[in-house]
Amino acid sequence: MLRVELATQLMRIRTLIALAFLAAVPAMAGLSFASSAGHQNGTQGGLFGASPYSALNHTMASLEFMMPLLLPVIVAMLAAAIASADRDWGVLRYLYVAPITRTRLLTAKFAAVAIATTLALAVVLVAGFLTGLAIFGWHPFHLIGHPNLTTGDAINRVLAASGYTLLCMLSIAAITFTLGLLLPRGAEALGAAIAFVVAASILNGQSALHAVAVVLPVHYWQNWAGLFEPQGAKGLGTGSVVQIATVILCTAVSLVVLRRRDPAA
Amino acid sequence: MSAPATPTATIRVNDLSKRYGRQQAVDRLTFAVNAGQVCALLGPNGAGKTSTMRMLVGLSTPDTGTALIAGDPVSLGAPVLRRVGVLIDGPAFVPHLSGTKNLKLLWAAARQTWPPPGLNDALDLAGLGTAIDRKVKSYSMGMKQRLMLAQALMRVPEVLILDEPANGLDPAEVRALREHLAALSKAGTTVLVSSHQLAEVQQLATHIVVMNRGRLISAGPLADVLGGSTGTYRIQPDDLDRALAILRDAPGVTAAAAHNGEVIVTAPTVPASDLVNVLVTAHVGVIAANPAHQSLEDAYLAMTGGHDLAAR
Repeated sequence: MLRVELATQLMRIRTLIALAFLAAVPAMAGLSFASSAGHQNGTQGGLFGASPYSALNHTMASLEFMMPLLLPVIVAMLAAAIASADRDWGVLRYLYVAPITRTRLLTAKFAAVAIATTLALAVVLVAGFLTGLAIFGWHPFHLIGHPNLTTGDAINRVLAASGYTLLCMLSIAAITFTLGLLLPRGAEALGAAIAFVVAASILNGQSALHAVAVVLPVHYWQNWAGLFEPQGAKGLGTGSVVQIATVILCTAVSLVVLRRRDPAA
Repeated sequence: MSAPATPTATIRVNDLSKRYGRQQAVDRLTFAVNAGQVCALLGPNGAGKTSTMRMLVGLSTPDTGTALIAGDPVSLGAPVLRRVGVLIDGPAFVPHLSGTKNLKLLWAAARQTWPPPGLNDALDLAGLGTAIDRKVKSYSMGMKQRLMLAQALMRVPEVLILDEPANGLDPAEVRALREHLAALSKAGTTVLVSSHQLAEVQQLATHIVVMNRGRLISAGPLADVLGGSTGTYRIQPDDLDRALAILRDAPGVTAAAAHNGEVIVTAPTVPASDLVNVLVTAHVGVIAANPAHQSLEDAYLAMTGGHDLAAR
C-alpha cells in the first residue's frame, strides 16, 4: 500500500515540478552570490551573509531561506495530496473494496507523508550543498566575526539542524494531513494549511499575542539557526516537544476521523 | 432468489436499514441471491439501490441489519471482498497513470501478485487495445467504464456487484458485457446488477429485486414477476368468438380481447385454471393457456407506480 501511495503521489508531474522548484531556489541563489565567493554576501549577517564561504554555509543559508514558507508550502501540498487525492479521484472506494483495511491505509499514508517530507527537505539540502560545492567549494564553515567551525563540529550542527527541521516539517505535514481527512477536498486542506502557516508567522511578530504564538509549532521553526550563531541555539527542546505533540495530536485526530467516518457519507 | 433469505445464498441482505440525515435511504430490506443467478436491483432514482450496494461492499455501515457475502459479514476492507468484483458509483482511477498501471495499483493494494487470473479475458472485454497504456485522463467516459469493468472482472470473482455497468457503453459493448456476464453466471458467479436499462436487464437477469423509497417492492425470478404481476393470460381456444364472449362475461374478468387467434384476458383475482374451466364447461375447447408475459418495463412501472420522479 505504501508503494501505491508513493507511486500515485511522488510520480506526479506537479510533485516533480514542486521538488524541482525546491532545488532551483538554492541553485539560483548560489548563482546570484557567485561573484561573492569566499566573501561576505554584501552587508548581510548570519547565515545569509556567510552563504558564499562554503558548500555547507550555502546549504544552511538555503534552508533558512526556504524554511519560513516555501518548504512548508511544498510539504503541505504533498501531505494534502496523500491525505485526500484518492478520495478526490474516487479511487478510495476501490481501494477499500480491493480490499484494504483502514489501519493499513492509514499506516501507508503516514509512511508516505514521512517519506515525502523527508524527500522535500533532502532536496533543499542536497541542492544547496551541490550548488555550494560547485560555486563556493568545500571550505570550513564560516561564522561572520567568529572563528570557523571545525569540519566535525559543522557536520554535527548541520545534522542537528536538519533533524530539527525535519521534525518541524513533519508537524506541518501532520496538520495538513489531518485537514486533508477533515475537509471535503485536498485543495481546501492545502489552503487552510498555508493560511495557518501565514497566520502563525504573523502572530509571531505580535508581542501582545505571544501567549498564543508559543503554543503553535511555527513559533519554533527558526530556532535551529541558533546552532550557527556564537550564542548557541535556544528553545530547541521546547520546539521539539511542541512539534512532536502536534504530530501526535494530528495522528490521533486522523485515526479517529478515518475510523469513524463512513466512506460513502 | 426470493424475498426470504435462503441459508445457502451467496449474497444475503437481512433487515438492512440506512438513514442519511432525515432521509431513510434503505428501510428493512431483505433479499438473497444464490450462486449462478443474475439479480437485477431495480428502482427509481433515490430508491436506495446504490446505498444497498454500498452496504454490501462495506463502504457504508448499516444502521440495522446485516449484509453477508458467502456467509461472511461485510465491513470496510473485509477479507471476503477479495472474492467480489465491484463497480460502484461510476469508474474512478488515478488520472496521471495509464490504464495498466491503474489496474496494477488496485490489484497490488490487496497484496496480490500480478497478473490477476482473469486479466486477459477482462482486457478483451474492455477492448481498449493500445489505449490501455495511455494515461487514464485521456480516456472517454466509455473507456473508463470498460476499464473499471475489467478491474472488477480480472480477479475472476465469485460475486459481482455492478452499479449501472452499461453506463457510457455503446450497443455492441453492452451486448458483449451481457454475454460475458451470462457466461460468468453459468459458470457459477453470482451477479447483482443495478440498472435503469430495463430492456437490457430483461435479457440478462434471472431474478429481480425492485425497490422504491428504500423498501422492497418485489423480489423473485424474473419469469414469475413478468408472468404473474397483472393476472393477464393468453388463451388459445378452438372457437375464438364464443370464447371471447364467454370470458367477457366471466366473473373476475376485467378485460378480454382477441389477438392473433388468442384471447388476451385480464383477471387479476382469477387463476388461469378457473378461466379454462369456464370455457370447457361451456364446451369451448382450450388448446393452450399461458400467462401473458409483459415487458419488464411494464411490470416495473406497475410495481413502482410509474412515477420515477416522485421518489426523488
